[in-house]
Amino acid sequence: MTEIKIDDNLCGKKYLQMAFDHCIRCSTCKYSYKNFESMCPSGEKFLFESYWASGKIRTVRGLILGELEWNNDLKDAIFACPTCGACMDSCQAPHADYIVDIIEALREMAVQKIGPGPNQEKLLELTTNKEIYNPYGELHSTNENLKKMYELPDKAEWVYFIGCTSNYRQQKIRDATIRFLKRAGINFTLIDEHCCTSPLIRTGQIGCSKEFMEYNIAQIKNADASKVITSCAGCYRTFKKDFEKFGAKFDFEVYHTTELIKELLDSEKMKIKSEYNKTVTYHDPCHLGRHMRIYDIPREIYKQIPGLKLVEMKKNRNFAWCCGAGGGVKIGYPEWAVEISIERIKQAKETNATVLSSVCPFCITNLSNANDRFNGDLEILDLLEILDQLEIEFER
Amino acid sequence: MIDIFGASNVSNKQVDLYPYSYDMTENEPHMPDFVVIPENKEQVIELVKFCNKYLVPIVPYISGNNVGGLTIPDYGGIIVDFGKKMNKILHINENMMYALLEPGVTFGQLKKHLDENYPHLRYSYPNAPPYASVIGNALLSGMTNLATKIGSMGDAINGLEVITADGEIVRIGSCFYGKEDADVESWWGRGPIPDLVGLFINWQGMTGLITKASIQLWPNPPIKKPYLGIFFGLTDIAPFLREIGKAEIVDDVVAFSIEVAKMEVGIPEPTRYPEEPAFSAVISISAQTENMLKAKEEILHNIVAELNKKGTNIHLIDYNEFSKLFNLRARTIYELPAVILNLVEYSGLTWFGSYAPTHKFEELIEKCDLLFKKHNVPSYIMMKTLKNSHLGIFRPIFRFNKFTDQERMMKLVEEITDTCLKMGCIPYKTPSWMTAKMREQINDGWLNLFDKLKKCMDPNNIFNPGRWNT
Repeated sequence: MTEIKIDDNLCGKKYLQMAFDHCIRCSTCKYSYKNFESMCPSGEKFLFESYWASGKIRTVRGLILGELEWNNDLKDAIFACPTCGACMDSCQAPHADYIVDIIEALREMAVQKIGPGPNQEKLLELTTNKEIYNPYGELHSTNENLKKMYELPDKAEWVYFIGCTSNYRQQKIRDATIRFLKRAGINFTLIDEHCCTSPLIRTGQIGCSKEFMEYNIAQIKNADASKVITSCAGCYRTFKKDFEKFGAKFDFEVYHTTELIKELLDSEKMKIKSEYNKTVTYHDPCHLGRHMRIYDIPREIYKQIPGLKLVEMKKNRNFAWCCGAGGGVKIGYPEWAVEISIERIKQAKETNATVLSSVCPFCITNLSNANDRFNGDLEILDLLEILDQLEIEFER
Repeated sequence: MIDIFGASNVSNKQVDLYPYSYDMTENEPHMPDFVVIPENKEQVIELVKFCNKYLVPIVPYISGNNVGGLTIPDYGGIIVDFGKKMNKILHINENMMYALLEPGVTFGQLKKHLDENYPHLRYSYPNAPPYASVIGNALLSGMTNLATKIGSMGDAINGLEVITADGEIVRIGSCFYGKEDADVESWWGRGPIPDLVGLFINWQGMTGLITKASIQLWPNPPIKKPYLGIFFGLTDIAPFLREIGKAEIVDDVVAFSIEVAKMEVGIPEPTRYPEEPAFSAVISISAQTENMLKAKEEILHNIVAELNKKGTNIHLIDYNEFSKLFNLRARTIYELPAVILNLVEYSGLTWFGSYAPTHKFEELIEKCDLLFKKHNVPSYIMMKTLKNSHLGIFRPIFRFNKFTDQERMMKLVEEITDTCLKMGCIPYKTPSWMTAKMREQINDGWLNLFDKLKKCMDPNNIFNPGRWNT
């Protein structure tokens, strides 16, 4: 029997172990289950078996058994993947739900042995810089100015965790969300937040994650909040799944904006009075859809907007084509990230929609880049930006 | 290689080669030296000429799901991955009912294409993952869920386009007319000419590289009804398979040890308890009209009644109702192509997949059942008959953990192999350790002719060396 030795200090050790007595490389992970459509951006682009989920699992085995040597040739096969999780929904084997965990554990191991993926070291450098605390390299904002501008209290029932992409790149989503929460009469505030570390976890650079998580938990507690809401699918996934994985415990509830909106609509505390007479197609963010299984809530909201015609792309829900930004691909392989997104723009155009909407600022960023590059002539809007344009009656 | 295929379609990085070095089976891994991804036959011709000149092994690969170690490059060389770009459905002929395919077309892809564009036609699908190759399956005499009706898929090949060892391109079958490319409408049959297709079926890629193939399609009847047969006596399945085939009323019958049925409803390592049935079978019936279905059902029930009068204990259940009792897992075994869930629960999978004399079914079942018990492994036997019971399929299957359980399982595989070979079974998709055992029993004339043909077709032994112990 071959002896399997895995470093006890690796956070993802249990996932690396899974790579050994699972996966017969049946190729089911490559295409959407029972629908036989292309699903995997990495495999479709680079083609060799090493780029598909089963190949990555095999790479784990080879590296741990010493049959593969650690060198820079490994980097693309390990890091050129948006970890969108389409393979998890296609695979029918018992390890299916853990494929992204296995890939992230492989990346953790790779970072220690050969360093991060291309350009991805910047994510760590910038995020851990005491004047920055975000992966975009923007000067850190304590959000005090925003609190003043929107007259927000220091302590409140809710904290709106803005997330780095909305705070430093997609401010229109941040501002639309704040305006929505104000209009809805939600008692909320902002905190002096640091990156949730999603980009670091996805790229295997996890050294500071727990410290950052505990910092954010402390800030939320200081605000006396019992609920946290975020408009970012990546932050949401990180709070809901990764905090526990890293042992960062908290006792507040975590909401994605869509969950609050759905609650308000269901309880008839929110009524949309004006019309949005456009055809809209919805892009499922991987971190909200496949990673967190939220597919219906956003759709039910769009359907309740008067005048809005919701149409589906051919690839939707658990088999939605990834926008291409996640998993460190946007910074590591920027051209390819947009190429993946152009494919999504083409799928959106096939529906004859004029608006491509989503509920993740990172998806919105990459889809907007692709729309510009492809001359897609679509409006790329977050759901909150659509709601921001509408007359809404709230019951206080 | 880069000149022929372009830089992005060639790799000799260890990380890219490594996944091609192994498969799900017990067969020893071995690294290739290169992997290339062709997109047209001209590139393949250039590759073959190069390899023949410099004596470099070529191993064709599509998805590596053959359960025989057949794409492991035992002597290194170049893996030609046909699955990624040479995967186009070139033509569907509705009148003569065939599909002209590149080798990388998968069962899932063909099923989707037919359902969306030609719903009145069907191909047939194996208990293999949906991303196994249609052509690979046919060239290796795989069988599908029309097996009882139509037989081996090797018989369903109408014609081939092949690159031979000297780089020549050859068209075989009714497509042989014409000096240049054949019309897509001309791939309708295999004879009546010397059947050169036989030079490539079951040769495991040892005689040439297939770049196109035509395979037969069948009418897709509007009515389909599956039954579940339950067989209480250990060998009750054997006469049932023989009689049901002869009656010409079913598309297919696939029989499994009862342990497999338990696996399908979520029991990972099941036990067969005393008084429980020994086998179950999914019986697929199709019909053009309700009356036709009723007639077929009547014959099916009559056969069971007659057999039970003679001492068997067989029960028939509506499969659709049965699958509702459990969960959707139970349907994957009927609604093909689908990955059979119990086959992907471990890291290893192998079999003794064989064509078998149906009159020895009882003896095969009894002996193999004892061997499974001796090794404390849940019995996993799959059986069928081909072409109205002219011949049988007997497939003990073995699931195992490669890193913890392979050695133990291989003792069982070897004992079952020895037992079944002695009884005249002929394995297909056969690994070289198994062909070595077969060679000990095959007559010298056959072996000499085999060697002469191989030398004639591939004088420098560049095509998948090591297969059949070449």
